Amino acid sequence: MGEAPAATTQRDLAGEYLDELQARFEQAADGRLLAQELEIGGLPLSLRFAGEAMREALLAPFAHLVTSGGAPAALSISVFDGASTGVEAPLPAWDPVDAAPGTNPVARLRSARACVLAAAGTGAVTAAEPGRGQAAFYLPDAARISPIERAAPLREALQLLMTPHGRWLTHAGAVGRKGRGVLLVGRGGSGKSTLALACALAGMEIVADDYVLLENDPLENDPPLAHAMQSTAKLTEDSARRLGLGAGTIDPAGFEPTLEGPAKALVDIRTLAPGRMRRGLQIVAVVAPALHGEAEVALSPISAAEGLRAVAPSTIVQSGFHGAAALAALGELVRAVPSYALRLSPDPAENVEAVDRLVSELG
Amino acid sequence: MSEQRLRINSENVVHETVDGELIAIDLTGGSYYSLSGSGPAIWTLLLGGASESEICAALAVTHVGDPETIRSAVASLIEELLESELAVPGEGPGNGPAPDAPAEKAAFEMPKLERYTDMKDYFLLDPIHEVDPVGWPRPAA
Repeated sequence: MGEAPAATTQRDLAGEYLDELQARFEQAADGRLLAQELEIGGLPLSLRFAGEAMREALLAPFAHLVTSGGAPAALSISVFDGASTGVEAPLPAWDPVDAAPGTNPVARLRSARACVLAAAGTGAVTAAEPGRGQAAFYLPDAARISPIERAAPLREALQLLMTPHGRWLTHAGAVGRKGRGVLLVGRGGSGKSTLALACALAGMEIVADDYVLLENDPLENDPPLAHAMQSTAKLTEDSARRLGLGAGTIDPAGFEPTLEGPAKALVDIRTLAPGRMRRGLQIVAVVAPALHGEAEVALSPISAAEGLRAVAPSTIVQSGFHGAAALAALGELVRAVPSYALRLSPDPAENVEAVDRLVSELG
Repeated sequence: MSEQRLRINSENVVHETVDGELIAIDLTGGSYYSLSGSGPAIWTLLLGGASESEICAALAVTHVGDPETIRSAVASLIEELLESELAVPGEGPGNGPAPDAPAEKAAFEMPKLERYTDMKDYFLLDPIHEVDPVGWPRPAA
């Protein structure tokens, strides 16, 4: 890394990059701006697309959050790609980070005003000014969008915009009944996606299988809220088989390698379990599922600290932002509601029954 | 007993205490830790910067226990915290004089630090590289 010239030490390179990215978006969107109003985390948010290509590539997972507008959105994300618009993102002002095959390291540049994230593997760039509620997102080619982006589209932009409003990106699923439910927590491979989808297929309400926005104190004395983000879920081939999913419900891209291990395919929860998606659920418990071979299902209380250990590491390590405040928010969650360990049975129906019973007991 | 002042590595480590157990997450390496017993009390003293002897002096005021057992436990924990880089050598004034005696002293419990590495591989696959605040400038072409 070279010595920075003295004259550049006071420059806000993250802010300058954001401004340039926004300017490129305006250029890309000239004459073909498509705006879509959403409600995410209970807040109005405007997605602004430069043309149809990115709207088609990214909007479907947010269809359950679409609103007809109304209140002016204080939050907005401007979205464009290079291939369909002919406008590329500015060159980074920093050395590119090398991406080994199968990895997606991210270069992050921050200032008091702005944050820029440039993913070396996918070429995605996110830049945001959380204080003004504005973000921009760029991909090289909307027609060649990677499984990483399709699984959790706009995740970083949403996280940056939602955090100042007390909505914490949390690595968890959420399922329930009658507006109240449980947070399913644990690292990738713990079985939470399969469990969440099994619950939805059995008629329970679902907010997500993998990421929610956690709001700890929506109203005084109310339980924490898990807000929905995208409706996409990721499943292994084994999980799809256990859940009896037909080929028609699985994304045509099929099972592709993931960063965290086994190949997974995307499914859309709205298609899979029509009418079961919810924009939010009040959370009455934290449940940490774990696979245990051929054992019978068993639900047992665990301490709040064990609950925190189940939800926090993968959330904090993956998010990378606001680590101390995000961990404090998760601490507040496990103090507010009880935590349980759920030993999973190979039979999804037994697991659903255990979750459903817990929701009805606590709900 | 060492007079070297130490502090928690707050630049790279976040922590939260729930029900007497402290969870610490290393943001740079992906490991996470559980600290129980009287460990969280020692951690709290290290937050403000403290030496081994200052920690022992403070614990003697707030906790009941055999002084030699406490001294040995504090030394072991400090060694573990340094080795895992949860704590680093520090400077400055520290916490000041030993705290006032509480109405009722807590029983000293052996600190227990457990390390979990199941997130480590996951973390290393998809790391975030913090770019230099001045921009990690591109070398001149």
